[in-house]
Amino acid sequence: MSEAEEQNEGLVCAILAEQVAILRDRMDASEAFDLLWQTSALLSWLAGLLIDIDQHLPRTNPLLGKEREEAIAKITSIRHQLDHLAFFQAQRHDFARQIADCIITALERLSSAQMPEGTRFASADLAALYVSDDQRRLHEDVLLRLQTE
Amino acid sequence: MPTILVLDDSATMVMSLSHILKGAGYDVETGMNGREGIAKLTDGVKPSVILTDLNMPELDGIGFIKEARKIPSARYTPIIVLTTESGGRKRDEARAAGASGWLTKPAEPNQLLSVMKQLCPVK
Repeated sequence: MSEAEEQNEGLVCAILAEQVAILRDRMDASEAFDLLWQTSALLSWLAGLLIDIDQHLPRTNPLLGKEREEAIAKITSIRHQLDHLAFFQAQRHDFARQIADCIITALERLSSAQMPEGTRFASADLAALYVSDDQRRLHEDVLLRLQTE
Repeated sequence: MPTILVLDDSATMVMSLSHILKGAGYDVETGMNGREGIAKLTDGVKPSVILTDLNMPELDGIGFIKEARKIPSARYTPIIVLTTESGGRKRDEARAAGASGWLTKPAEPNQLLSVMKQLCPVK
């Protein structure tokens, strides 16, 4: 590869690194998660309020009492599901962010700014950036697939 | 109310963990990396349990555990690692540094709370 071609490839990597960084920053879902947690906290407060009402008001209408109990059970169930969903999604989101970080670091190293002339970035260098076994497994699968093709 | 110190470089994860733990009756202190965690401990925060990520900037989880174990008040505090890493090598490294346990992301909220309740039950 000529020096000009190498420089051009480095430039492409630097641009791609910037683009992935923008993509990663756009992945920020903290406002959505904050809203989920606020909804969960509100549901918790509502369930507590209904329990208080249930305990302090005389049970003149058995049907109303039964409906209050059903409402409390449903609110509690939805709140638990919401907590579960938000916690799980937050972890998946975090994992996606870490993969994006890894790609950005790799592209930055491949760019002309960080790649001294004559040096190469090998797949083992990429593997050194991984933060999870999922990434390592994927890496091995791709290597195996490319070797057999 | 027992205090849990949560360390993670993801704001979303810190928010999520805080919500789950506060909902279960714990006080929560947070930091975005190991350096902030050490600062909390040296500033006098005495958590009942520390929950830390491994891959963090400035001072990573392993570095944090090593430093924390040098602080007398945190020498025997249970430190649980919560991370995307599930590899044996990293786990051995964390254990050698002084980690007490390990949870792999994605973890279930109940799984997390079960570990916390075993280590420090909320009265």
